[in-house]
Amino acid sequence: MGVVIEQELGTVHGDEMILNIGPQHPSTHGVLRLKVHTDGEIITQITPYIGYLHRCFEKHCENLTYEQSIPYTDRCDYIGSMNNNFGYAVAVEQLMETKVPEKVEYMRVIVAEMNRIASHLLALGTFGLDVGAFTPFLYCFRDRERILDLFEMLCGARLLYNYIWIGGVSHDFPVGWVEKTYEFLDYFEPKINEYNDLLTYNKIFIERSADVGVIPADVAISYGVTGPNLRGSGVRWDLRKDDPYGIYDRFEFDIPIGTGAMGSVGDCWDRYYVRVRELEECVKIIRQALDALPRDGDVHAALPKKIRPKAGHVYSRTESPRGDLGYYIASDGSDIPSRIKMRSPAFTALSCLNEISRGWMISDVIAILGSLDIVLGEIDR
Amino acid sequence: MRITIGHMFKIKRGNVTLQYPVERWPRPERHIGFSADSYNVIRSRLTVDVDDCIGCLKCQRACPVSCIKIETTKVEKGEDISEANHRGVTSNGTQKRLLVTRFDIDMTECCYCNLCTYPCPEECIFMVGGPNSSRREIDYEFSEYDRNDMIYRFSKVPFDILQKYASAVEKSEVEEAT
Repeated sequence: MGVVIEQELGTVHGDEMILNIGPQHPSTHGVLRLKVHTDGEIITQITPYIGYLHRCFEKHCENLTYEQSIPYTDRCDYIGSMNNNFGYAVAVEQLMETKVPEKVEYMRVIVAEMNRIASHLLALGTFGLDVGAFTPFLYCFRDRERILDLFEMLCGARLLYNYIWIGGVSHDFPVGWVEKTYEFLDYFEPKINEYNDLLTYNKIFIERSADVGVIPADVAISYGVTGPNLRGSGVRWDLRKDDPYGIYDRFEFDIPIGTGAMGSVGDCWDRYYVRVRELEECVKIIRQALDALPRDGDVHAALPKKIRPKAGHVYSRTESPRGDLGYYIASDGSDIPSRIKMRSPAFTALSCLNEISRGWMISDVIAILGSLDIVLGEIDR
Repeated sequence: MRITIGHMFKIKRGNVTLQYPVERWPRPERHIGFSADSYNVIRSRLTVDVDDCIGCLKCQRACPVSCIKIETTKVEKGEDISEANHRGVTSNGTQKRLLVTRFDIDMTECCYCNLCTYPCPEECIFMVGGPNSSRREIDYEFSEYDRNDMIYRFSKVPFDILQKYASAVEKSEVEEAT
């Protein structure tokens, strides 16, 4: 490879430069090392090197009981911990054939969607930060902080909740929590327009992100990309609608997809805008769930005394903020799982980085990486 | 720009940012709807009321990172160790039978999952604050200069008595291992 310069003397091959981005780089969203082959400033190849945050999640789970693994699932995707708890709990409940109470189902949906809002806010803010807009980051974090405060009131933790248990949740909603959540939603809904004014329709931001890093729908599907990244490519695929788990089939909400409003379908701006639109959908779901939340009911009613599933295996998937989060659990009949495998949506999103960023400049790679919204804790597990 | 200027004029003291060492983050009010005494929801450091501990080892088994180490031993009849307060009943009215010779929590290993506080029958292990703030003042600044200071030792048994029971402790460990 290398640049080919047509000269009078004939063709001359320029040199290819290898550039390391990371692992300690603020734009890589964690500890990710990218080996970038550049030709001038044009990318010819990118190899992501992962494993700097590997914590042996799957091996740990083979030595812990089912409920002790829940704090470890928190630490995989540490931005959407509730959704990770939810996915794991749903998987074990499928294995045990436990039925959880009605109230718990609603509570889980509420906290999971709240966490999706928090996660998307972080994604939007840091994407803005990557392309050089510092202000929206502070606005997003201001509102994310309110959600974290609500979660702190709910379960005492701000980031790693251990809230959704197998067969239930750890605490009932405290007195006044539901009212405060309504208050937050009323406060939050107009703020979405503020983000749009600040960042979404900003001319510089559109120049940086529109038409950059296009993932065509077929490439996205063949790489297994899911979640907002896939929806940004114009594929209407959301497990909450297409394969409902929990009680998601009871709620009315839309699935926003990328339309190519500013450039072509599947560019960075589309992926970004799908997340903004999803904030509105999350608010819709939370409102419906809060309205229908049963007033009384014991959240600990269905907690199993001893978690000891029958021998067998299960694969369950849920929609985390990053996409299709799958848990494969094999049980040998004891109280310790014999194998847990986690399918990480951020991992598949990262895997298509080489495909989509070839031919773009180095600064565009940062934008593409930011728009993919990866979490290294989940990629390395 | 319009939004930024709008917020600039709307700003009031303490709007978003807190000047940390001077101001403190307000504690959220927590009124847990049910059995407020037994649920402590804030995740701060672990504390043990060792006078109430009966040495059932449930918290040790629940811990996913094994940061709780408990050793117990039986005391000969008639012997009374006043410091350890190992006779009598707990606050919940359970008869105490064992002498807790060791109750160490390594807070550097703790993952703040709160799983140990739920199975405790005497509610003697808890994370400080929340509804339990009457028993222990809430604090979230507990850094130390030495790593060994992060190992909290709760057992009140004096050292000379520990030595007397050392053989018994080892014996019980051997029995547990086999």
